[in-house]
Amino acid sequence: MEYILLVVIFVPLMVSIFLNSISKFLNERLTTFVTINGALLSFSISLFMFGALLLDKFKPISLNLFTWIPNPDISFEFLLDGLSGTMMLLVTGLGLVIQIFSTSYMSGDPRFVKYFVYFNFFVFSMLLLVMSSNFLVMFFGWELVGLSSYFLISFWSEKKEAAKAGNKAFVLNRIGDFGFLIALMMILNTFDTFTFKKIFEATLLNQPDNLDIILIFLMIGAFGKSAQLPLFSWLPDAMEGPTPASALIHAATMVTAGVFMLVRVSPLLQFSEITSILVISIGLITALVSAFAAINQDDIKKVLAYSTISQLGFMFIAIGAGAYVAAIFHLVTHAFFKALLFLGAGAVIHEMHHEQNIQKMGGLKKKMPFTAAMMGIGTLAISGIPPLAGFWSKDEILASVFSKGGIYYGFWLLSLLAAFLTAFYMGRHWLLIFHKDPTTDIENVHEAPKMMTRPLLLLGMFSIFIGFINTPFFHGLEKVLHYTLIDVEVTHLPEGITVVILALLSIGAGFTGLGVAYLIYIVDIFSYFKFEIPFTKEVKDLSYNVLYLNKIGNQIFVQVPKSLARKTAVLIDGLIIDGFVNGVSSLFYKSSKTISVTQSGLVRNYVVYFGFFLLLLISIFIATPLIIL
Amino acid sequence: MIEVTTDWYLTLAALLFSIGFIGMMVRKNALIMFMCIELMLNAVNLTFITASKHFGQIEPQISVFFVLVVAAAEVVVGLAIIVSIFKKQETASVDILRSSRG
Repeated sequence: MEYILLVVIFVPLMVSIFLNSISKFLNERLTTFVTINGALLSFSISLFMFGALLLDKFKPISLNLFTWIPNPDISFEFLLDGLSGTMMLLVTGLGLVIQIFSTSYMSGDPRFVKYFVYFNFFVFSMLLLVMSSNFLVMFFGWELVGLSSYFLISFWSEKKEAAKAGNKAFVLNRIGDFGFLIALMMILNTFDTFTFKKIFEATLLNQPDNLDIILIFLMIGAFGKSAQLPLFSWLPDAMEGPTPASALIHAATMVTAGVFMLVRVSPLLQFSEITSILVISIGLITALVSAFAAINQDDIKKVLAYSTISQLGFMFIAIGAGAYVAAIFHLVTHAFFKALLFLGAGAVIHEMHHEQNIQKMGGLKKKMPFTAAMMGIGTLAISGIPPLAGFWSKDEILASVFSKGGIYYGFWLLSLLAAFLTAFYMGRHWLLIFHKDPTTDIENVHEAPKMMTRPLLLLGMFSIFIGFINTPFFHGLEKVLHYTLIDVEVTHLPEGITVVILALLSIGAGFTGLGVAYLIYIVDIFSYFKFEIPFTKEVKDLSYNVLYLNKIGNQIFVQVPKSLARKTAVLIDGLIIDGFVNGVSSLFYKSSKTISVTQSGLVRNYVVYFGFFLLLLISIFIATPLIIL
Repeated sequence: MIEVTTDWYLTLAALLFSIGFIGMMVRKNALIMFMCIELMLNAVNLTFITASKHFGQIEPQISVFFVLVVAAAEVVVGLAIIVSIFKKQETASVDILRSSRG
């Protein structure tokens, strides 16, 4: 029974290898056939497995494939519980939908097959990551998703920006992975095993001293993969990749790997106050900064990228507050509406002939009514308008933060501000693309083809209804995650009327954000009242350049080491090493030049030397005491 | 009657050697210098033989044979070199042939 799990995980890999090995003989129709059917198979089996899990009340199923190293105990193991089951469904399901979209979006690309090779490889690696039952297999998946993300970001590597963005993503991810790797070594040292279950049981009995440090390094790993504040700047650049790939990797699944991992280690995390505080504060700062940055981006995908970073910040806020169910809930709902928004943006880009500047769009509502409606659903969902998906999850996060009390009231207030900003920039995004008077000629723009609109419809439906899996009235997801979080103290919603007031406040924030966006960008309220806000330009600059964090980071982490390296190169390499080598050679050169004066080429000189030497020998012979023959 | 002692032979050998040596230093012609080398070699040979007679031993004479053989071989090689150089450069003056200058 549990061996069926292998089918879910390895079908995408098989498809990837198969497509790659016979890519020369495949046309687009055949590729589509193979990849869609592979994804369908993987998805239906994961659905089946999830159903089996459901019937068994989400009791974890584990599958020990083989023992790799007996001592310390490292084995190739998979685990299907509520958490990995949810992620499995999410990855295979969204993978299927987005592949259907991709077959139309990528149609005509000379490397059509290659795209699906990478895509399926990504799905495989992500499944490996989420299904693993120990840290090491998880790390394999972790690295492989990084690799496939690199492939897909720089898919159009003939574009210089795409190649650069891929490199940037890879390098910044390496920093996070470095943290993860250190944490892994410390875990092996402390617990003598990588298996989650054993580590959690050992920690429950008594917490090791270095638990805080392990968790902080794990957190760095999570921040690298999930694009949190110090390591976030690769995600906006990653938008150079094909839009459907961005939808799956850089919005819905891969970037949530950090959230997933921290929820996975939540039995450890609950014992570490300092890590929780760090996670919530960095998550909060990230949510605010990237929401602020999203306000003034002009690229249709960059707005969504910053929005993704901001929403990931929300998930980390939930983790820091101990609301692990809320974090996974927001992960799930976010995956749907962000995939919807990305695919909608992809459809717009496709129909606008690769125009990505939203200032040059506008009025597309009439030309692409269906896409506009679906994007509208996505926008409302992310803004937290009930009863759409985003409302339930975001409200649960906010309420959970609130219910912790103390300093968390401040965190709650700032999260509310971030929620307001979210609604504001998403409102601006939608209004500028679809509602505002057209700024360019859009006569020839049509609705996207059916292969693109149908996935949008599906995701739109989910964005509306997926929120009902975990409402204050029906704790569905909590039941799903029951066994995963069985030993974990999860922060719950506050009781009674408080939760209603909090919900009203967050709805208020959502509506206010959308309303303000409408007033500013459509009614243009500032020029209407001839009112000028001071520092508008400065704030705009600051927002567009993300508080110049990228530049500052570049100065500190690239320019300084670069100049240091250059100085080192000049000093150590140039003066000392080269100086030594050149000194030796010039010493020999000069000395031999001096000595070679004696080599006059005149035979008589040599004869003279010979004579002198002879005289020397004779005088030595005479001077030494006589040897009796 | 004056007795010819070992000293006489040694003096003669020294003289011959000096003549050869000075000839090496002052002459330019490679052929003449070659003859000077032969002169020096034979001076040494004479010393050997004198020593052999003086000490009543046979070993120095063996050395002489070695020197003679080597000298003969050296003459063959050396003369051949000189002739070929002469054919090429049309001179045998060692002052002009300075290609081994450092």
